[in-house]
Amino acid sequence: MATAPASFLDPAMLARISDLALLARTVVDGFMHGQHRSMRKGSSMDFAQHRSYQPGDDLRRIDWRVFGRTDRFYVKEYEADTNASVIFALDSSASMDYGSGAVTKYDYGRFLIASLAWLSQHQGDRVGLATFTGDLVDVVPPSTRHLQLLLHTLGRSRAAGAGHLTTAVERLTHLTARAGIAVLVTDCYETPEALAHAATSLRMRGHDVIVFHVVDPAERDFPFTAATTFEDAESGARLPLRPDDLRAKYKELIGAHHSAVAQRLTGSGADYVRVDTDQPLDRALHAYLDRRLARSRVR
Amino acid sequence: MGLGLLVPAFLVGLAALAIPIVLHLRHRDKDRPQRFPSLMFLEQLPIRTAERRRVTDWPLLLLRALALVLLVMAFARPVLSRQAAVEQSKRVRAVVLLLDRSMSMGHRDVWPVAMDSARGVISRLGADDRIALVLFDDEADVVQPFTTDKRVALAALARARPAPRGTRYAAALRAARQLALRAGDAMPEVVIVTDLQRSGVSGVSGLDLPKDLNVRTIGVGPKSAANTSVVSVDVHRIAEPLRTMLSVETRLVSREGKVPRTAEVRLTLNGRPTGSRTVAIPASGDVRVVFDPVLLPAGRVRGVISLDADALAADDTLHFAFAADDALRVLLVAPDDAMGDETLFFERALAVSRAPAVTIERVRAGRLDTRALEHASLVVLWDVPPPSGSAGAALGVWVRRGGGLVVAAGRRSGARVAASPLLPAAINGEADRLTDRGGSLGDVRLDHPLFAAFRSAAPALSAARFLRYPRLEPAPGADVIARFDDGLPAVVERRDGLGRIVLLGMPLDARSGDFPVQPSYLPFLHRLVLYSAGRDATTLSRSTGQGWLLPGFLKEPAVFTPGGAIVRPARDSVGSTVALRESGVYALYEGRVQGEPLGLLAVNAPPAESDLTPVDARELLLGVRQSAPTAGAARDAPTPAEIEGRQRLWRILLAVVVLLLLAETIVANRGWRGTARRTTEAGGA
Repeated sequence: MATAPASFLDPAMLARISDLALLARTVVDGFMHGQHRSMRKGSSMDFAQHRSYQPGDDLRRIDWRVFGRTDRFYVKEYEADTNASVIFALDSSASMDYGSGAVTKYDYGRFLIASLAWLSQHQGDRVGLATFTGDLVDVVPPSTRHLQLLLHTLGRSRAAGAGHLTTAVERLTHLTARAGIAVLVTDCYETPEALAHAATSLRMRGHDVIVFHVVDPAERDFPFTAATTFEDAESGARLPLRPDDLRAKYKELIGAHHSAVAQRLTGSGADYVRVDTDQPLDRALHAYLDRRLARSRVR
Repeated sequence: MGLGLLVPAFLVGLAALAIPIVLHLRHRDKDRPQRFPSLMFLEQLPIRTAERRRVTDWPLLLLRALALVLLVMAFARPVLSRQAAVEQSKRVRAVVLLLDRSMSMGHRDVWPVAMDSARGVISRLGADDRIALVLFDDEADVVQPFTTDKRVALAALARARPAPRGTRYAAALRAARQLALRAGDAMPEVVIVTDLQRSGVSGVSGLDLPKDLNVRTIGVGPKSAANTSVVSVDVHRIAEPLRTMLSVETRLVSREGKVPRTAEVRLTLNGRPTGSRTVAIPASGDVRVVFDPVLLPAGRVRGVISLDADALAADDTLHFAFAADDALRVLLVAPDDAMGDETLFFERALAVSRAPAVTIERVRAGRLDTRALEHASLVVLWDVPPPSGSAGAALGVWVRRGGGLVVAAGRRSGARVAASPLLPAAINGEADRLTDRGGSLGDVRLDHPLFAAFRSAAPALSAARFLRYPRLEPAPGADVIARFDDGLPAVVERRDGLGRIVLLGMPLDARSGDFPVQPSYLPFLHRLVLYSAGRDATTLSRSTGQGWLLPGFLKEPAVFTPGGAIVRPARDSVGSTVALRESGVYALYEGRVQGEPLGLLAVNAPPAESDLTPVDARELLLGVRQSAPTAGAARDAPTPAEIEGRQRLWRILLAVVVLLLLAETIVANRGWRGTARRTTEAGGA
């Protein structure tokens, strides 16, 4: 698989683009450059197989030639008869509003969703958006005409307040009546069990679930040296610490958490993709397209 | 030489000592919190914070604490006090003892305590201290000027008794201020022994008291403010064919009681018990009691409503007095050429009046003399000019003594120019409104007693149409109460002595307008005769503390007081006034005090005095302003140079604080403190 030019997918470069629509187009065009053409087809009329006629089937879909040969009714089935409905869920809790580098986790999540939405729209999918903290904040229902609304909503959304992913996902499952792809962008500050429970809820509604776990390098490496009071972005709680003494233990804990999250989410049937905010977006886009391709084979 | 503080309240700032200590322990002085997405994992780490809770830099901490202490002391303004100032507290005291003797102090549980407290104040005085005794109710009475003889003061105190009077602390404090200003070198002090009745606070706010006057209050109020009192009485005459009955109605008010109670209410008329009722009195609220009608006694009637006595017995009795015969006699002076039906509406409208009953007697203008006027309450000049000569003089004297005169100007008055010293306006011709279907009343003063009944029904007045009416030109000093819609005066009034003269431009007959057939005619006439005759403000009793203005025509008025004394007030141009200090019935005589009195006046304590609700002692003196100190304090006042000299300590303290802060800066930045390891973080937000 070809790799997109890094300059089009570098978060530091993307941070300079204020228009999300332009950003998404830049990312997708850059990413798709050199990709196989068929990857861009989300739907087709390619024949898949015959199956026996069942009462209620459309008479127009009966293959009369086969009837002439076999004297039995068969109907023709095609791949990807329907386009997918993609709902993007973005964690808008205050913990996402953190960035030790050029972009915050929240900005990265927005770039990612804008790009994925643009990509989906051009494959004929319905795209929708839900931002959430403890509850749903902004909701754009999935539609083929909602891309601009989605980008606008995404552009004005802000990360604030305490998050509670489980409750928000429960509400999300009630909003999306049609099964499709649920893309969850979060920093996974929940217990692995809660995250797995949320993914399972979406799976139970027939969704394919992709969880993008956004991680800031500072969360990963804990590079602080000075004795400092740390303040929780969501609760405001403060904790005086000497980071040098605690770094190793912290990295051990956070590593274990990431592993547990990946394991539990994968176990619950979701696709887990960890994205670091100092890395280009291509890994995320690849992961999404793989999942989209898998769904297009639904008959 | 001693050390004091001018503003000791600033010592509260010493609590700020905790700030450097906490800062020191937490090392928060330079830290800004590092924002982090979640402390979810950091909180699970074993955090070594013990060394943060230990003082690591004692010299720095002590420097900061000392600087703060000295700064606080500087703000507290330390002052070196002279020996003389110390001795000020040893000055001779001049105590003004204000003893409340209002009616409420007669409460069963209050007066003995008040006397004990007052005696205690006097007995605790030093040998050289001076004492002045002021008894106050709604006015203050200095019964003992400053004296060092305690026995004299105690003797004056022993003569004090509660009086049926209201409470006014302002009067007492004014008297105390006057005495304090005469205290000389002594240190003035005011001690108020009172039940702190809230109703007496009025007027205290805004009072000026010397700056150095120490006011102390000794509250002796009852534990419970529960009290029941008789607050009002009303009498109704019931006219029967052969006799007139009297119905008496009274109102009792109960305040702050715990439980309802049953009490007997008795009515006494002219000293004879004439009725009683047993009533249930609520714990808090009022109850009306109506006695069975009794035969109306003749002449002037004295009455008493009495209730079973409670802790405060003085307000359980209410005196009242009234004249049995309240008939209002109207002398109607009509022109000789008057048609028979010209005054028909007027006479019929007054004849239906029952409270009071109005009797009309027609007389000729020339027959108005002292004898005719003797028993009249009101004279109505019906379209005739005021009489001249002896009749006019007699009428003028009669009006000045309290008689009422109504001049109804009509078409005859308008036809000729009429001016008389008795009239409040000159009549100059007639306005003819036939062409525009008549005029109406335009500008009416509805706040005037004459028209007060029409406040909610003003359109009823303007409905009447007047086709012709005289042009009135008000005389100086006259009051225009109503005008027609063309601006001409319709009703003009003037007071002459104790009497009232009302000139009507509104025709009262049916020929010059339709006023007699309008609904407003009858109530207007009823108000007109009551107001003009001075019957609109008759009360059955007054309150102590008020004055009784006696008629000016009495040459040698004599008043027999409820206490049995005879008062012969001095007369002036208007009359003479008797101060009402006792509760009971005052009787007015001319010359010798014997026979039937010319008038009776019942007097009771003010109703507000029955409300025993107390006021907080501090609240009592709220709003009192401080004025220049007394003479003794002024002599002790230091010169500005002395004041400045004594207070300059704060400058020295501030200089020391500056030096300490400089030392703090050096110590805080010395090399070995670098162990705090505050390195610049790499990659942090």
